[in-house]
Order: sequence, then structure tokens, then C-alpha cells
Amino acid sequence: MRRLPLIGILALAFPGAAAAHATLIGISPPTQARLEVPPPAVVLRFDQSVTTTGRAIEVFSAAGRRVSGPSEAGDGGRVVRVPLSGLGRGEAYTVRWRATSSDGHTSSGVYTFGIGVTPPPPTEAYGSTGPTWTDDAARWAFFVALALLVGTMGLRLLVLREPLPPRLSNRLFGLAAAGGIVTLNVGIAAFVMRAADALQVPFADLLYGDLSPIATKTRFGAAFVAMTLGYAAVTALVLLAWILDRPRLLWPAFVLGLGFATGLSLSGHQGVEPNATFLTGLADWLHLVAAMLWVGGLVALATCVWPLAPTLRRTAFLGFSRIATVLVAVLVVAGTYLSISRLPATSELWETSYGHALLAKIAIVCVALGWGAMHHFFVRPRLERDDAPRGLRRSLIGESTVAILVLLAAAVLVNARPPAVEPTGGARVASTLPR
Amino acid sequence: MAPRAELVHWAFAAGFLLLGLILLAEVIVGAEVFAMRRWRVYLWPSIAFGIGVALWPVSVFFTNSTIHMLAHASWAEVAMLAGAVQLALVRGKLTSRWWTLSLSLTLLVSAAAFLVHEQNPWLFSRAAFLHHAIGWTLLVAAVFPLGQVLQPRRAAWSAGFALTWVVLAVMLFCDRDVAPIFGHLSDLAAPG
Repeated sequence: MRRLPLIGILALAFPGAAAAHATLIGISPPTQARLEVPPPAVVLRFDQSVTTTGRAIEVFSAAGRRVSGPSEAGDGGRVVRVPLSGLGRGEAYTVRWRATSSDGHTSSGVYTFGIGVTPPPPTEAYGSTGPTWTDDAARWAFFVALALLVGTMGLRLLVLREPLPPRLSNRLFGLAAAGGIVTLNVGIAAFVMRAADALQVPFADLLYGDLSPIATKTRFGAAFVAMTLGYAAVTALVLLAWILDRPRLLWPAFVLGLGFATGLSLSGHQGVEPNATFLTGLADWLHLVAAMLWVGGLVALATCVWPLAPTLRRTAFLGFSRIATVLVAVLVVAGTYLSISRLPATSELWETSYGHALLAKIAIVCVALGWGAMHHFFVRPRLERDDAPRGLRRSLIGESTVAILVLLAAAVLVNARPPAVEPTGGARVASTLPR
Repeated sequence: MAPRAELVHWAFAAGFLLLGLILLAEVIVGAEVFAMRRWRVYLWPSIAFGIGVALWPVSVFFTNSTIHMLAHASWAEVAMLAGAVQLALVRGKLTSRWWTLSLSLTLLVSAAAFLVHEQNPWLFSRAAFLHHAIGWTLLVAAVFPLGQVLQPRRAAWSAGFALTWVVLAVMLFCDRDVAPIFGHLSDLAAPG
């Protein structure tokens, strides 16, 4: 009897299904299909009736030539069809559609297909411009937030293992949780920005744009889905570790946080380089993870430990210094290996825009490494003798700032395409833009 | 296979119903009696936190429109954070009663997401009507946590807060996009 209310609520949770918003349930030819012969038409099937105009579906070649006729509706408004003509073998095509569903919501979408070639993903469809400075800024914000999340957890778990004063503990948890929340929000913003570029519709229409081809058919989308779920779980674990006073819960959060950072490698150019191997993927991940642990740890040291726990400064600095040495070594070795694999000719360093960005990054890294070396070789011995130099917090904040600038350069590089990249047997980018 | 949207609505409606009933039980028996078994005070904050976490998959797997993804993500975020804040209050990690205002913020954000993501006027269809009704209900309900902070002994605020979730659950159970309300008022709102 006491379980009846619970059973009742469970029964309410799973009643028979009813119709929801008008949804695209069938596409011909399918999203990102590689066809051998040109299709006579593009056909979209919705689960409810939709209202369309003659230009509800438009199909373009990679050069921007329209190959579709006027659209027409059928099957009570559930099917929209557009005839095609003049399609050639060896070309990729972009389909852009727009329809008002029976509940009044105007939906729109984009997808690609190829004839005799593998089509590009929707994010590289005809009309899209590729990543711009706003994408770089979003990726930078994502890197910084992720660095705060995993770097703070790393400092707490690897350096500050003993029970901490409540104020310090709360601030460390707060910094990590804030990093998690910002990671989630910036990730969503970055995904919507990339989708906006692919859809090429006004903002009002973007709100009802169909993002599912981008979420399911692109590396960027797959990384977005996996990383959003992963970092939501990580943030939840961080919050629970704080609420329940169970720092041990940070371990799974930390491991998950590092693991899901692979999404960054997969959503950048690393995943499509012709010479990409398991080793380059591993190096890319190690490079990113080492940078984030280093930057996030530095920020946590400067903003949490220094102002709130004077008695722990020495222990924290010396402990972090030991770990930072390993992190910097990993960073440099992995970064050098990746640079060599992506720029086989040294001259590309000064002859290409990717090379220029890499040189700028190396210059900032050198400043950060110099700063770190000063801390390691001059400050550390003094701290070991209990002779802390004045102004060390300012110096840590300075090193953190330079390290955050390194992440900016990294964000630009991840979105950029190295010069040696050739198409991997598929069609060229439909938008034909270099980035 | 992704579940159909209405099943997801109903699953969350069941969660909100459970949340509302627990809060209502607390109002009926009184906070002291309710807290005689310690685990009870963790119930509704844990459910709110769980609902928030469970909304994240909904936001990333239902991407057939940008606005719905953004709305689900905003609900996920505020529910998860509000649940965490309430758990922290119960555990004593947070002590100021003003933290209760995070519930008002949650309701305001949720209301805004409901109202912004509905394109059509009130009487366009049942779904449109319910979206507007839910949005305004949550907007008005944001006053209840404020009342709980200013007049913690007055049961009306707690009862209002509890009933908000019951009403929200009922409205979510009724939500069908193309179902008529008082007959079809628009030709576009035809049955699917």
C-alpha cells in the first residue's frame, strides 16, 4: 500500500505517446550520403503538415550554382519535394530547406550529399564561412573554463591532499564548479555559433533551425554532445563532493574531466589531418591536458591558496612546482612533435598563416616558460629555506595571465587548418573557404 | 533511439509531481514533523538536482530546433544549481536563508525560457496556451521563495511553492502541440 503513490507516479511517467512538434522524419537523399547516380529530386518528409513556399528547398553545387527547381508539397503537406537537374558526378551538393510546421514554428536546416564523392559535413556546406574570430574567442573561453575546472581539481587532489581550512576548500570547489558551469555554457554558445554559420539564416530563424544534422553528422557536433554530457556529469560530481564533504568524489570527476578533453582534439583539425594517427591524437590530448592542468593550477594557487591559507603557501607552491615541471615537459615534447608532424617544411613557419600563429604561440609559451623557470630556479629554493620573496602572489598572477594568453593562441591554432592538409579522398570543402 | 518528445515531457512531469507532493506533504505535517526522519529533508533537493542532471541529455539529444535546445539547457542548469544550493542548505554548507532566493531565480529563468521559446499567441493551439500558462505560472511563482525568506513561518508561501510544481506537472501532462483548445482556432493548428 505504501508503494502505491510511487507506482502511480511511475505509471504517469510512461503513458502512450502523442504527437510533438513537427519534425523532419525522412530525407532523400540521406544526410551526407555518397551517391553513385544523381537523384531526380530532394524529398523531405515531416511527421505533421507544413506550409512551404516555392523556395522551401534549395540545392546548390559547391560553386554556388542552383540545381533545384520550384518546391512543391504533397501528402497533405507532410512531404515537400524539389526536382533536381544538371547535377554532375564528382561534386558535393548543399541542401537548404525552410518550412513552417503546423504549430506555427518555422524550421530550417542544411545538409549535404555527394555524387561519387564523400560530401563535406554540414558545417562546411555551401554558404558557410568557417570559423571566425568569434569561434576563436569561444574556444579560448572554453579552454580557460576547462582549465579552471580540471586544474583546480588537479591542485586539490595532487597537491593539497590534507584536510583544508573550510574557506579555502569552499573557494576551490567554487572555482571548479564555476569552471564547469562556464564550460557547459560556452560549449553551447560555440555550438550554436557554428550552427548559425552552417544554416546561414537570420537570428529569428536560427532559433527554430534544425541543428540535428550538425549535432549528429559532424565531429564538432559529436564532440559537443559528448562533452556537454561529460562536463555536466563532472560539474554534478564536483557539486556533490562539496555538498557531501566527500573529496574522493573529485577523483572520478577529475578522470572524466581529463578524458572528455579528447573532444577538443576531435573537434579541431586534429581529427581530419591526412597524417593524423593514434599517436598524434594522443599527443594533442596530452598537450591540451598538460596546458590546462598547468594554467588552472596556477590560477587556483594565486586566487585561492595565497589569499586564504598563508600557512599552506609553501607546501602548495613546492608541490605544484614539482608537478608543473612534469606538465611543462609533456607540453613541450607533445607540442614539438605535433608541430613537426603538421609543418613538415620549416619554411612553412614563416610562409603560412598557420605558421605565423604557431610562431606567436611559441613566443608566448617562451615568456610563460621563462616566468615558470624563474619561479622554479629562484623562488623555489628560497621557499624551501622558508624565505618567501615578497610580491610572489603578483608574480603568480602574472604567470597565470601569460599562460591564459597561451590558451588564446592554442584556440586560434585548433580552429585553424595547417597548410599541408589535402582533401582526404572526398570533396573539397563546399564553402571553398580556407578555414 | 531517441524517445518521443511527449514521453520526455511526461517523464519530467512525473518528476515535478513527485517534487510537488513531497513539498506539499512537508507543508501539511509541518517542517518539524517532516524533519523527524532526517532523510526526508534531502528528498526534494535531491529530486531537483536529479531533474537538472537528467535534463542535460534532453538538451543535447533534442536538437531539432535551437530554441528548444537552449531552453532545455537553461532548465537543466538552473534546476541542477537550485538543487545543489538546497542540498547545501540542508547539509549546513550554506547558512544564509537568502540562498533560498536561488529558487526565485530558477523560476524566473525557467519562466523566461518557456515564454521566449513559444512563437505563437495564447490561443493558437493547446501547446501554445500551455506554454504561455506555464511561463506565467512560473513567473508569478517566483514570489513564493521570496515570501519564504521574508516570512519563514507563514505556510502560505511554502504551500504556494509546493502547488506550483503540482500545477506545472498537470500542465506538462496536458501538453500536446497540435491538440485543439476550444476547437482549432487556426488553420495551421490542424491535427497531426
